[in-house]
Amino acid sequence: MAGDTQGLPAPPARVKIVIDGQTHEVPAGVTILDACQRVGVKVPFFCWHPGLSAPAVCRQCLVEIKGFSKPIPSCYTLVADKMEISTNSPKVVDVRRQMLEFTLLNHPIDCPICDKAGECMLQKHYFDWDARLARNDGSKLRKAKVVDLGRHIVLDQERCILCSRCIRVCNEVARQPDLVMAFRGDRQLLTTAPGQRLDNPYSLNTVDVCPVGALTAKDFRFSMRAWELWATPSVCPGCATGCNIEIHAAHNVIRRLVPRPNPAVNKYWMCDEGRMTYKRVHHNRLVAPMVVGAPTSWDAALGEAARLLGSVRDKTPSTLGVVLSAQTTNETLFAFSRLSSEGLRTDRVYLAGEGEGSADDILVSADKNPNTTGTKLIGGPTLGTAADLKQDLETGVVTALLVVGAVGVVDRFASLPTLVVLDSHQGPMVSAARVALPLAMWAEVDGSFTNRQGKVQRLRAALAPAGQSRPGWEIADQLGRALGATRRYANAKQVFSEACEKVTLMSGADWGNPEIPVQLRFANSRG
Amino acid sequence: MDDHSPPPSRHLVMGFGDAANLPEADELPTESMPLNMGPSHPAMHGTVRMVLEVEGEKIRTVDVQIGYLHRCFEKEAENATWTQIFPYTDRLNYVSPMLCNVGYALAVEKLLGIDNKIPERAQFIRVIVGEISRITDHLTCLGASAMELAAFTVFFYLMKAREWLWELLEEVSGARLTHSYVRIGGVVADLTDDFCPKLRDVLRRCRGAISDADKLLTGNRIFRDRMDGIGIITREDAIGWGLTGPVGRSAGLAYDVRKDHPYLVYDRFDFDVPVGSKGDNFDRYAVRLEEMRQSMRILEQAMDRLPAGPVLIDDARVALPPKREVYNTIESMIAHFKLTMDGIVVPPGEIYSFTEGGNGELGFYIVSDGTGRPCKCRVRPPCFANTAVLNKILPGLFIADIVPTFGMINMIGGECDR
Repeated sequence: MAGDTQGLPAPPARVKIVIDGQTHEVPAGVTILDACQRVGVKVPFFCWHPGLSAPAVCRQCLVEIKGFSKPIPSCYTLVADKMEISTNSPKVVDVRRQMLEFTLLNHPIDCPICDKAGECMLQKHYFDWDARLARNDGSKLRKAKVVDLGRHIVLDQERCILCSRCIRVCNEVARQPDLVMAFRGDRQLLTTAPGQRLDNPYSLNTVDVCPVGALTAKDFRFSMRAWELWATPSVCPGCATGCNIEIHAAHNVIRRLVPRPNPAVNKYWMCDEGRMTYKRVHHNRLVAPMVVGAPTSWDAALGEAARLLGSVRDKTPSTLGVVLSAQTTNETLFAFSRLSSEGLRTDRVYLAGEGEGSADDILVSADKNPNTTGTKLIGGPTLGTAADLKQDLETGVVTALLVVGAVGVVDRFASLPTLVVLDSHQGPMVSAARVALPLAMWAEVDGSFTNRQGKVQRLRAALAPAGQSRPGWEIADQLGRALGATRRYANAKQVFSEACEKVTLMSGADWGNPEIPVQLRFANSRG
Repeated sequence: MDDHSPPPSRHLVMGFGDAANLPEADELPTESMPLNMGPSHPAMHGTVRMVLEVEGEKIRTVDVQIGYLHRCFEKEAENATWTQIFPYTDRLNYVSPMLCNVGYALAVEKLLGIDNKIPERAQFIRVIVGEISRITDHLTCLGASAMELAAFTVFFYLMKAREWLWELLEEVSGARLTHSYVRIGGVVADLTDDFCPKLRDVLRRCRGAISDADKLLTGNRIFRDRMDGIGIITREDAIGWGLTGPVGRSAGLAYDVRKDHPYLVYDRFDFDVPVGSKGDNFDRYAVRLEEMRQSMRILEQAMDRLPAGPVLIDDARVALPPKREVYNTIESMIAHFKLTMDGIVVPPGEIYSFTEGGNGELGFYIVSDGTGRPCKCRVRPPCFANTAVLNKILPGLFIADIVPTFGMINMIGGECDR
């Protein structure tokens, strides 16, 4: 029988459908919901998610199709040629309201204390599509309010609307089926199997996809109302993958990181470890320039650094090395690579950074540096490795070092007669340094990282730099001036443009348009 | 006997007419001098500055400088939900906030397409509080101007009447001056139980106060000499300069938004629009005096016909649900939350809506981009145009004439400067 289909004409690549009386042409094989979104017709949904399978359990996206007696879930049904779809007929509007009424029947009156309020899909859909007063005043079914599901997550079973998005995140993204539904009817609830915990490395994605406030992150819970937060697009600094994120901050403090969809990098997701990288931004920072362990002014510190490095350069230039950390931005790296070749006249440039860590085949890279690719591109073929650095320090070839950013190899630094470091945190490297300059971190600067795929991705400053810290490229420029060069850069974009000109593999990179942080209150309830 | 004949001029005070009739040679030679009047000058109400060029007592040129009370109303409105703008409108014309409340609410309701769904009782209440506000507006204008011409008693009489009215508005809204009583879709609360009997009593007493002021001022030689023939505006000028309200009507321009473009339920009431003939300060005084009486007529008719029913539209997308529902049902809780945090969702579009404010045509031009906050919320303040005409009518008058002329233009800084 299989051979019979070969005689039939090939199915059309595009089909003509009618949505609410308007004829549209859409690709064959897309769902009705997809088709509606493509042509800008709004259809509400809870259980559907662009990155997950569609079980059609919430029945919120029902539409009417001519010839069908019952309303059909649009997230699940594929378009067919000449299909006539109605998303706003009286029947559809009524069904939509009835579904919302069912969903709200046992929903607790929690908005004032719910973390999701303000970005809740249930709030949004009720207000957009129903907005009628309650018709029943029966008592609501009570369920467990605080279920400790795992390391990061707390579940409120009363708020859960049983959409199963979180179950699918565990099954399809983390590939670890931790969550299940138990019981039936209005007693149905989300839970883990007895004795099990929701402890997969992608568990916090369940909080993002939860359309209501049922799953909340322990880290963010009750810390800030969502609408007070300001969202800035950025890139996760946790590993070489470079997941696209949004920094949610208020009053110069980051409250959470959430994934920003990018089909080429992280789709809709990020790992739990990456979400916690923001904590380092507010912890144990180096906030003032230090000379021999004592805080001082920028001018004094830069002068001392220039004096030290300049005297080595002029007397024994071959003993001077520069270490670039793969934790820093392309702009910092480029500015310092220019400084080392032109200002310090040394070609002993080394790549260093954090060590290797665990990896998986989903998102997490073993390389825990966000910008190893960028460092290699900017450093060029002569860039030494961490092993080379260790060897050169042991053999005494290098006795003076300028270290840019956090690096793993610090055990031999203390014995160096000349050590100038730029670091964002207090630690052994800062203690060992003759001059330590405070470096602004990824969330505090405009710049870019190059991820493991070679994609140059933009960072945008969400915070003011901690204390007196400054962006790396600015320090390079100032150090260069203290060493007698002229001022080169006024902003990060200039460094980026020059890097794109000089570094062949960065040539196609785009700085992008300026994006002003937006307060989630004004994001008009993204829900 | 000729010895007992009256002096040539019966005027006790030398007014403009007398000075104009003096023979040219009797005037002392003088040089022009720049003179700064206001903003810190009692007659400038602290809100406006006039840079004069005077020759002796006579004004040669005048430059009226406004903006001392600019509060970025239009910019602030862009960051506030549609409902949060009501307190800002209170502070536009702060002697008749209710009229500004109503004017703004009507504009948003038109854009929402719910202007024909406002409960009738709410429309009557809006008329009642609006007309009370119109009376307080005119009482303030007349009282203050009389005081500036030394009639302090009149000021006390009229301020007392204003206070009776404001006490009533305080009773319904909770605030004496910044009422924020109107909401999109109606008003925030019903009138208090004995509001109408109280208002009737207050109106009776107000009539007495206004009549006293009338008797003290209208036939008063000093007052008339300062008002008659001063600051004349022709009907053509009134049209040309966009003058509305009592200022425009005093010049013979019978334009009243309540009559010409009726809104709310104004078409159901019987009232007259007083019009002046000369366009001088006295006409502006007389028009305002009569308008208060007409407002009282409207008030009495509105109280007689006040229908029963709700005072706020029954639409969870526009009006906050009752508190009992909010605390006990999730539906109303969400509606309350969304209305408070995101604001009323007004469909994208633009509209110009205008009402008869205390000083004339009060217009709101609003643009919505479909979010809970205006994309643009511009006010057409009647005083702005009215104040502009000062530059034309003041030159040629005496410095002392600025006081009654400026008073009768009734520039309200909050409204003019926004």
